[in-house]
Amino acid sequence: MGSAVRTALIKLCEFLLTALLVSFFTFAAFAIIPGDTARVMLGPEASEEQVEALREELGLNEPLAERYFDWLGNAFRGDFGNSLSFGNPVGDLIASRLPVTLGMSLIALIFVVAVSFPMAAVCSRNPGSIKDKSLSTAGHILFAIPPFALSMMLILFFSKVLHIFTAGRYTAPSDNFGAYLVSLLLPSLCIALPKVAMTFKFLRASMIEFSQGDFVRTAKSHGLSDLRIMLKHIIPNSAVSSVTVISLVLSDIMGGSLIVEQVFNLPGLGRLLLSAISRRDFPLLSGIVFYLAMMTVLLYFLADVISAMIDPRIRDGRAA
Amino acid sequence: MSYKGHILEVKNLCLSLCNADGAPVRILNDLTFSVRSGEILGLIGDSGSGKTMTALAISGLLSDFAQADSGEIIFEGEDLVKKSPRERRRLLGEKIGVIFQDPSSALDPLQTVESNLSEIISLRSKNKEEGRERILRMLKTVGFENPEQIAKRYPHRLSGGQRQRVLIAGAALMNPSLLIADEPTSSLDTVTSMSIMQLLHEMCQEMGISILFISHNLNAVRNFCDRVMVMKEGAIIDSDTSWDIMGQPKSAFTAELLLKSKLDPKALGISRGVAQEDAPVVLSAEGISACYKNTFFKKAHTTPVISGISLEVKEGESVGLIGSSGCGKTTLVKTILGLIKPESGTITKSGKIAAVFQDPVSSLNPAHTVRWHLTEALEASGRKMSEDERKNYFLKILEDVGLSGKHLTRFPHQMSGGQRQKAAIAMCLVQEPSVIIADEPFSALDASSQASIIKLLSDINTKNGTTMLIVSHNLRVIKAMCSKVIVMDKGKIVEAGDTDTVLNDPKSDTTAALLKARMYEA
Amino acid sequence: MRSSTASRRYLYTGGILLSIVLAFFILGLFWTPYGINETDAASKFLAPCAEHIFGTDNLGRDVFSRCLVAARYTLLVSFTGVAYALVIGTLAGLIAGYNGGIIDKIIMIFSNGIMCFPGILLALVAVAVFGPSLFNVIWALGLVFAPTFARVYRTSTIELLGRDYILQAKLMGIHPLRIMFVHILPNLMSQVLPAVIIGLANMTLFESGMSYLGLGVQPPAASYGKMLSDAQSYMVSAPWLIIFPTLMRVCYILGLYFISEWVRTSVKGGSK
Repeated sequence: MGSAVRTALIKLCEFLLTALLVSFFTFAAFAIIPGDTARVMLGPEASEEQVEALREELGLNEPLAERYFDWLGNAFRGDFGNSLSFGNPVGDLIASRLPVTLGMSLIALIFVVAVSFPMAAVCSRNPGSIKDKSLSTAGHILFAIPPFALSMMLILFFSKVLHIFTAGRYTAPSDNFGAYLVSLLLPSLCIALPKVAMTFKFLRASMIEFSQGDFVRTAKSHGLSDLRIMLKHIIPNSAVSSVTVISLVLSDIMGGSLIVEQVFNLPGLGRLLLSAISRRDFPLLSGIVFYLAMMTVLLYFLADVISAMIDPRIRDGRAA
Repeated sequence: MSYKGHILEVKNLCLSLCNADGAPVRILNDLTFSVRSGEILGLIGDSGSGKTMTALAISGLLSDFAQADSGEIIFEGEDLVKKSPRERRRLLGEKIGVIFQDPSSALDPLQTVESNLSEIISLRSKNKEEGRERILRMLKTVGFENPEQIAKRYPHRLSGGQRQRVLIAGAALMNPSLLIADEPTSSLDTVTSMSIMQLLHEMCQEMGISILFISHNLNAVRNFCDRVMVMKEGAIIDSDTSWDIMGQPKSAFTAELLLKSKLDPKALGISRGVAQEDAPVVLSAEGISACYKNTFFKKAHTTPVISGISLEVKEGESVGLIGSSGCGKTTLVKTILGLIKPESGTITKSGKIAAVFQDPVSSLNPAHTVRWHLTEALEASGRKMSEDERKNYFLKILEDVGLSGKHLTRFPHQMSGGQRQKAAIAMCLVQEPSVIIADEPFSALDASSQASIIKLLSDINTKNGTTMLIVSHNLRVIKAMCSKVIVMDKGKIVEAGDTDTVLNDPKSDTTAALLKARMYEA
Repeated sequence: MRSSTASRRYLYTGGILLSIVLAFFILGLFWTPYGINETDAASKFLAPCAEHIFGTDNLGRDVFSRCLVAARYTLLVSFTGVAYALVIGTLAGLIAGYNGGIIDKIIMIFSNGIMCFPGILLALVAVAVFGPSLFNVIWALGLVFAPTFARVYRTSTIELLGRDYILQAKLMGIHPLRIMFVHILPNLMSQVLPAVIIGLANMTLFESGMSYLGLGVQPPAASYGKMLSDAQSYMVSAPWLIIFPTLMRVCYILGLYFISEWVRTSVKGGSK
């Protein structure tokens, strides 16, 4: 018990430290812009008065440490200041775009897990068989196609050939939740497919390794059928070893959604981010970056918690 | 309970295994033997002789790459070869129990002992309460005093011996009539091995389980089995009662096997290194305690791995350090070497200390040649030599350890285990140490290499006068090489003194147990 | 090193695919049938034909010529990015793994911190702050990938630390830096090569993503991502604008993958 509590405390400390570090990275990225931040934002044509006014508004004249802690305090309250290009509070802008990015990431994740586990289980039972080889090769090809190219092909297929999908049509979840999910289905698929390939590859290898392992042999000598062994022993063990990979995939999924939104013309965080970049709207930009990074930190922490829940060795602090 | 006559008869069994290119290779060749009811039958042979394949073929756990070509496996009057996989699966765990070599990962790490065992019962009966009762009873039978606690534990909190007991409990849970034990003790230390074999013996006697005991350890088989079969190239070449086969082997192969297994240090013509009357102390430790600290956040273990160790080694003598695994021998060695910082106590060394470790696979850096290793050792010792001097020096050292100049350019993977261990010793010699500490330097080697390494170390000790501290579990070797012996248990020294005094008249239970386990020593 | 038929098949497939890309790269260095930005109003949206084997785009530029030149940027970005990541990752991973304790914790928390930014996001920020240029893309992507290499190196270093030959080296009093780079590093190559190959593949995926968003390779240069991005509006009327650049990328990444499979299977077979 004692060791479990200690492991939990260590994990919590690491989580908080990482979160702090990530917030600092975000802040630093925008604080160390070469040259004068306000000047960079306004461009060379702006007058000296305008630049000075912006500097005052952004608090750029304060010392760096003070600015960081002010910014951090505000950030944790969800206050990132006002967007320069839209005029609205950054927090509101992010909140309005969140349903798209978050929904897409979640659907993609569910898809990745729901497809790669059964696929890997089927392939690992007979490694080297026709079934295994064709699924593995399909996985490789899916991985090699960039998500946006895949998106274009799927749009082409679903909207022009099957006529069941219109790119760019989006329904807000408050209007019609079902339609919201349907509108995100295809983009999520585009994000998920390359990641399915990656997760599948890893899971397949780990399942093959476990199924040749000693405890599976013991279970066989206990008279268990292959299916029971798969469900009781192999899947939980490979789930533990793949938690890290899945959390990496999640961070990739969030990154991927930034691009796929663009192809499907969806009003998500990615498009907001791009417009912030092109308009040099740094408060908005740092808000989005902070938000996305914090989400990832939280997801990694959740992955740690989940693997500790399944694996007693991690609870005892045995495995790093 | 006992079945009439033979419980298992294997008749003319042939078995092939597909190699990497898909071509079949014959593994078992016309194998015929039988297991009588209530006996312990030993099966010995070299590695690759088909022992494990026999076990897998009988139990039905063969992989898809193996196929039985012809023959019969008659178990309790029915031919198993003709049965469907489903029917064979039903027999496993119920009528046939199997235990394997390495218990370290043979239990699912994510599940408790109880959950690992309950799958055997839940397949066959729905009554959970009764199943639990049965598991607890069986855990008690295999020697756990607190079955409730063990049942709740996860495998990583059990020792190797405990895990093997749990696995035996699983194999015996449904009271099978045949238990197949494939090298069940080869990864355990001698004292633990002995207790596991005693347990199997009791099960045979009290529960009437017939046991097929597969091993490469002739001493264990001789003292434990009723009958012995010798296997070579997939066939039985010799079989008789244990005493007869060991006393008067019928085939030349058995005789050779027997000879190889009897590592007789006396026959090597070595003598013990003894210190002169007034020899100075070259290595001493006083009251040292040590423990492993693994992480930054984690404070030290509450119980240290070794505590209050004091010892003295005089110049020129050869000291043996014995104890069962987990007693702290290796920790003590690492502390003396300075690889672990002691919590308390002082270590005094005069001169350089070099070390030889156990595992010949990792004793040399796989990325570099023998020459590189020797050069590295020479440069580390701070001596300067010209190119020619160096070459001659290396050749001389290599000759001393029984290698030759052609080994200079070899990479570790191009040499055998014994050669690698010799190269490691050559590295030690280059450093010109006053003390060599050898941690189980021969236990991972085959019999003939063992003999040459023992002879080499002994010669370095007696002829060069280099002081030697040897850690081993092999009492015969210690007896032949060392003038003094130190016995450790649970991190403490329990007995120390002249080899003859300690080993002939043991004062402590630990020494007595080690001596008793000797008859099962490989 | 004995390799089985299966792993040789990986080598051949991977080799063929990669040599297609390499052939494009080398050819593109010396010769292109048309200038890559040579517009020709008369020959817009030509389907693949004898003069333009990959067809032409909305400005009448030759797709084949652009594919030849784009190979250059794809290879350049992925190789320099990975080399950069490898250097940082090697140093960080070796030092963290060898020293352990607080140094290890600090390095690992730092690398975890970087890994918490989805890769593309970090690269986008770098470009947003420092301006879109090839150089910025490369160092940003290198930074994103460094933690992965650091992890690989760290884990294997910790594993090697327990080996007897490293204990032996420590006993002989050899300097830690020499142990790290002469004793440990050569033994890590087999683990690092697959990571490098996967890194190359991922790097091109990110690069093309950024170019697609218009923040990677800047015109007039061409890269596969940029070509796809330009072609998006015409994907129905001129599918060849999408098909050929995608095919090139698939060749490159699949080729890398098969080679990594070959390395993996033959190393495994060799150590047995």
